[in-house]
Amino acid sequence: MIGFILADLRRLWAGSLVVVLLVALATALGVAVTLQERALRLGSARAADKFDLVIGAPGSETQLVLSSIFLQPSPLPLMDGTVLPRLLADPRVASAAPVGFGDSFGGYAVVGTSSGLVRDLEALAEGRVFAVAGEAVVGAAVDLPIDYAVKPTHGLAELGGHAHTELSYRIVGRLKPTGTAWDRAILVPMQAVWALHGMEAEHDEADAHHDHTHDEHASGGEAAHQPIEADAALDEDWSKVTPGLPAILVKPKSIADAYKLRQDYRDNATLAVFPGEVLTNLYATLGDAKKVLVGVTTGAQVLVAAAILLVTVLHVGQRRRQIGALRAFGAPRRAVFVIVWSELFALTASGVLLGFSLGFGAAKFIAGYLSAESGVAMPVMFAAGDGFLVSVILAFAAVLAVLPAMLAYRQPPAAALRS
Amino acid sequence: MRFPGLAAPALAIDSLSIPADSRVALTGASGSGKSTLISILTGLERVGQGRILWGDVDICTLSEGGRDRWRGANIGLVLQNFHLFPGLSAFENVLLPARLSGAMARDIRARAQDLLLRVGLARPTQMIETMSRGEMQRVAIARALLRRPGVVIADEPTASLDSDAGDAVGDLLIELSRESGCTLVVATHDPALTRRLDRRIRLVAGRIVEDGVIGERAA
Ligand SMILES: Nc1ncnc2c1ncn2[C@@H]1O[C@H](COP(=O)(O)OP(=O)(O)O)[C@@H](O)[C@H]1O
Ligand SMILES: [Mg+2]
Repeated sequence: MIGFILADLRRLWAGSLVVVLLVALATALGVAVTLQERALRLGSARAADKFDLVIGAPGSETQLVLSSIFLQPSPLPLMDGTVLPRLLADPRVASAAPVGFGDSFGGYAVVGTSSGLVRDLEALAEGRVFAVAGEAVVGAAVDLPIDYAVKPTHGLAELGGHAHTELSYRIVGRLKPTGTAWDRAILVPMQAVWALHGMEAEHDEADAHHDHTHDEHASGGEAAHQPIEADAALDEDWSKVTPGLPAILVKPKSIADAYKLRQDYRDNATLAVFPGEVLTNLYATLGDAKKVLVGVTTGAQVLVAAAILLVTVLHVGQRRRQIGALRAFGAPRRAVFVIVWSELFALTASGVLLGFSLGFGAAKFIAGYLSAESGVAMPVMFAAGDGFLVSVILAFAAVLAVLPAMLAYRQPPAAALRS
Repeated sequence: MRFPGLAAPALAIDSLSIPADSRVALTGASGSGKSTLISILTGLERVGQGRILWGDVDICTLSEGGRDRWRGANIGLVLQNFHLFPGLSAFENVLLPARLSGAMARDIRARAQDLLLRVGLARPTQMIETMSRGEMQRVAIARALLRRPGVVIADEPTASLDSDAGDAVGDLLIELSRESGCTLVVATHDPALTRRLDRRIRLVAGRIVEDGVIGERAA
């Protein structure tokens, strides 16, 4: 029987191939959507995991997380210079680091921060942490050599930003991969970013209002264009008032402290958020988009199932005489049923399995591309529930194959004698 | 025997008896009911009225599966269009019905080989689609005889062959049925083949108009 089925499929190889490919593509579509969505969710959740609590000026929570965790370029409002000293003095805070964005170099974000944060983020793969104002540490995915001189551009170069000529950073270290957007960042001392944008604490206190955006502020303050001392010693004493800051990354001492801090720093001067929580809310909104996508793929799958059913029913009709002949020579009806059923099931099942690998490959490819673009590692993987899904799909294919098999089963055998 | 949509019955036979080990020709114009009679004799179709007795059993009372089993065990069919299955070798084609009905007796492969040799095919592994029509019909004969049926029934076995191949097929059918002592029923237009059988039944519009021992042989 197996020999007959294989010979039959080999003879009808072109049609069989089309059926397998159709099933494979429809399956791959669904698998790719599911895996990609999961990879995006897991990847960004893991990327946000490194950061416990983010504090910024009041505004959009999503914007704050996108800018500080995912380093998306966008102007953030600035917080008052008293927030960081207050946090550093807070007994519930294990560590707090300022972050300042706005500059870029060759598509990489230049982020001002503390040497402590650089050390906390990940171990160094080579070199050392910056020790003077004009040094930088790069993320694992930054394709620049040690000792390279980075001349930051204000804003994104492709958006018409202008180059800062007052200072260039020398790369002195490289971090190991973190799987976050920070892998594509150039980390520099916070004090240098302030200096570049004319935001020295002394003359800055007065106009460092939180409602000034970074952009407005920076372009206003830059008229001076004084050259900046690249060899100036690292000054990370932020116990006094600092210039304005777009965001502060805080590591609380305990989970209870984290919740208390989040509560205490949500007022009209600051906004404290858990990145994970913001992402969860974001996914809730994106959930609708996913529903649409899943709907579309399900529609495609139903169409494919219907098309295959139609084709096989027609096919069984065309082979009336052959099926009749099998019976005429004494084959039981059961054998005819099993032959038709197994042929169709073998085709759809191999299509489904092929589709799973195709979908996995496609998701891997897309995730790889997105990771390269964003620095956020996106884990494409099957979950335990997927095994169940495969069984459900295969069970569906098995049920689908029953209809043509039933038709063949009921085929009158006398058809063999009609020519 | 009536078909829906036809006013006159396709087959109206009061009584017909075919004794074992006889060789019968079934003749008549096209559309006269030969194939219909065959499908009834082989249990492929049930009669509307009447009975088909195999010994004491009315095969019309058997279930569909029961008739399949009965046919597989007792009837060897040879059809005009061979109904061999491409993609399989001659040998596999001979074995296929036995395989599908789970009737693979221990010596059955050896018998298939012997039968293929007996019908003059020396290469059992040859793929069926590479064979000539005459060779194909010989494979079909081997297949019909595989399970040692009591009756071999052929529906226009030579109609799609040239005369030489047709003669060879006719010879084989008659010789092999004699050798194994099985009954042979052949529906045919071929006068040469008809002449070599013992009895001729002529159908016109589903009725038997002539039934007798073939002239020359009787004389
Ligand atoms: N399934 C059917 N439905 C209706 N009419 C049929 C069917 N099968 C055969 N017939 C009719 O029965 C008659 C006998 O056909 P058939 O037995 O095939 O003749 P033969 O084999 O002698 O050429 C024909 O008139 C044919 O049209
Ligand atoms: Mg006919």
